[in-house]
Amino acid sequence: MFNKVLIANRGEIAVRIVRACRELGLQTVAVYSDADRQALHVRYADEAYRLGPAPSRDSYLRADKIIDIARKSDAGAIHPGYGFLAERADFAEACRDAGVVFVGPNPSSIAAMGDKAVARATVSRAGVQVVPGTEGEGSLRDDELLSMARSIGFPLLIKATAGGGGKGMREVEKIEEMPSLLSAARREAEASFGDGNVYLEKLVEGARHIEIQILADGQGNVIHLGERECSIQRRHQKLLEESPSPFVGDDEEFRQKIGAVAVRAAQAVNYVNAGTIEFLVDKDKNFYFLEMNTRLQVEHPVTEMVTGVDIVKEQMRIARGRSLHHQQEDIHHNGWAIECRINAEDPYNNFIPSTGRITHTLLPTGPGVRVDTGVYIGFEISPYYDSLISKLIVWGETRGEAILRMRRALEEYKILGVHNNIPFHQRLMDSHRFMGGQYDTRFVEERFSIEEAEESVNSRPDIAALLATLVAHRQAERAAHIILRNERDTSNWKWLSRWERLRR
Amino acid sequence: MKYITTINGHEYIVDIIDEHKVSIDGVTFQIDFIPVGDQPVYSLVVNGQSFDAHVYPNEDAWQVLFRGSLFTAYVEDEREKRLRAALAGKVAQHADFHLKAPMPGMVVSIPVQEGQVVRKGDVLVILESMKMQNELRSPRDGKVVRVRVETGDRVEQKETMLSVV
Repeated sequence: MFNKVLIANRGEIAVRIVRACRELGLQTVAVYSDADRQALHVRYADEAYRLGPAPSRDSYLRADKIIDIARKSDAGAIHPGYGFLAERADFAEACRDAGVVFVGPNPSSIAAMGDKAVARATVSRAGVQVVPGTEGEGSLRDDELLSMARSIGFPLLIKATAGGGGKGMREVEKIEEMPSLLSAARREAEASFGDGNVYLEKLVEGARHIEIQILADGQGNVIHLGERECSIQRRHQKLLEESPSPFVGDDEEFRQKIGAVAVRAAQAVNYVNAGTIEFLVDKDKNFYFLEMNTRLQVEHPVTEMVTGVDIVKEQMRIARGRSLHHQQEDIHHNGWAIECRINAEDPYNNFIPSTGRITHTLLPTGPGVRVDTGVYIGFEISPYYDSLISKLIVWGETRGEAILRMRRALEEYKILGVHNNIPFHQRLMDSHRFMGGQYDTRFVEERFSIEEAEESVNSRPDIAALLATLVAHRQAERAAHIILRNERDTSNWKWLSRWERLRR
Repeated sequence: MKYITTINGHEYIVDIIDEHKVSIDGVTFQIDFIPVGDQPVYSLVVNGQSFDAHVYPNEDAWQVLFRGSLFTAYVEDEREKRLRAALAGKVAQHADFHLKAPMPGMVVSIPVQEGQVVRKGDVLVILESMKMQNELRSPRDGKVVRVRVETGDRVEQKETMLSVV
């Protein structure tokens, strides 16, 4: 059994894992790139070792170096966090070969869920419904797609294999219009991604992205911790998550039903440790398996807030070979939690990422507020890694209280030095559709504009004008002041000597 | 000291009478205005109402962020305003636009070519940074000239990639 854990990650999640280890009395080993020497996870850990230059492939993706450091520092386990090496079966395998515990599932589970076609086939066999479609079937010709379209049913979507951001995507209502839409989609995909391959997927109308957190131990016990609602996304990047889902609400029967299906999907690959099953849920509460994330999720805190279970600590217990702390009937949901991802990006400028030094930050505190972050004043947000600055999580007895608390916390939160999306979240919290829980995965891209939202806000341009003028005035006065002082400072002696020369 | 401050096309006449007294469009207010810490954060109390704002310069304007809203304010004193009025009409309506990298990154694609006519909103360059692909669009109609980068190039922040004239 291990007593020292190497954390093969950076940023807020590395800090989060160090915290869990500290509470469990486990020693921690941080690894860092040259860009992260000053990062919080390095400063918080008991030991720290350099990996290499800033780019990920030279640092956080260097599996060989990381395993080497684990051996040299005598760390008995590696926690991969999320991203980087977290879902790489070969890395999990290399850990096992080196005699180091990988805090996560077996390599075979990662491999089975990592391949879309295999994952769909595996869970289908276990009786889990998947979104009907041809994803993962490889590249198909138009005639093959046309013949498969009937069995999928209409309406359906044509999607680019290399796709994203809606490029190369077409909605098809009936078979007659499909040939022309297929060629249009292929053309667009070819132009956007240099790859004209497309696949078909049943169009799930009013789709919501709902995922189930599961925990599984090495003794074969699997439980679920309820759902997270992740439909607030932009270009497939989640921006806000909540638990429970306003769509599920107090429908405990549905929660247990989808939870049991998630447990079945996990059991189908003999899953161990923490994982998440993602579902698309349509407006009639039909749900379809999307994929399984075989790792800790960014948004795990909302589940922790409503269940009281510390998921990272559970991961450590499971990795140490202990059985689950809780049984399914011990899991109760209390209140409501919302998480806003605070990213270094400019919501007023097409969400362009922003880099720079954090010159000032004031964290929200007070009842029911949690901030998971890896930055502090003076920290440099570099272009090498993702743009997540922090996660702001609030808890309330009801969804209404959680929203009001989030509004309050966002108003308190100040980050200077880099652009950030706090104003976006503030506008979102004011949106009536969000308040009513009336949103699907297309909400942010199709129905929400920060500029429009700001127009409807009862704002005070007169106060803004006054503030700008006062600051400009202050700056002008200070500039004048500096010039005056310099004149006197430098010229007194000069004047004296010139004057003396004149008198000569 | 009298200023003309413009927000969203609306002009406010702001007169700073002394440290604790200002007038906006002729209405006088008692104020208490202080910077907070060593930062571009200011606390303003106007007639008992408290505002906390982040005010920072951006090119020729001021950005004012408070209560979750961002305002762009142009502040001019009377002399500057007269000067600009005199110059108006002499300066070309459309200055050349130089597309600068808003952050360091890698050029993923350049969907336009030298000499191509573009419209406002057309994508000029796709730049990858922080694992995201960012579409940089033209702020106006014009013609693409002086393309200085190629697909695959790494660019530094503020590096000029191409121009639209």
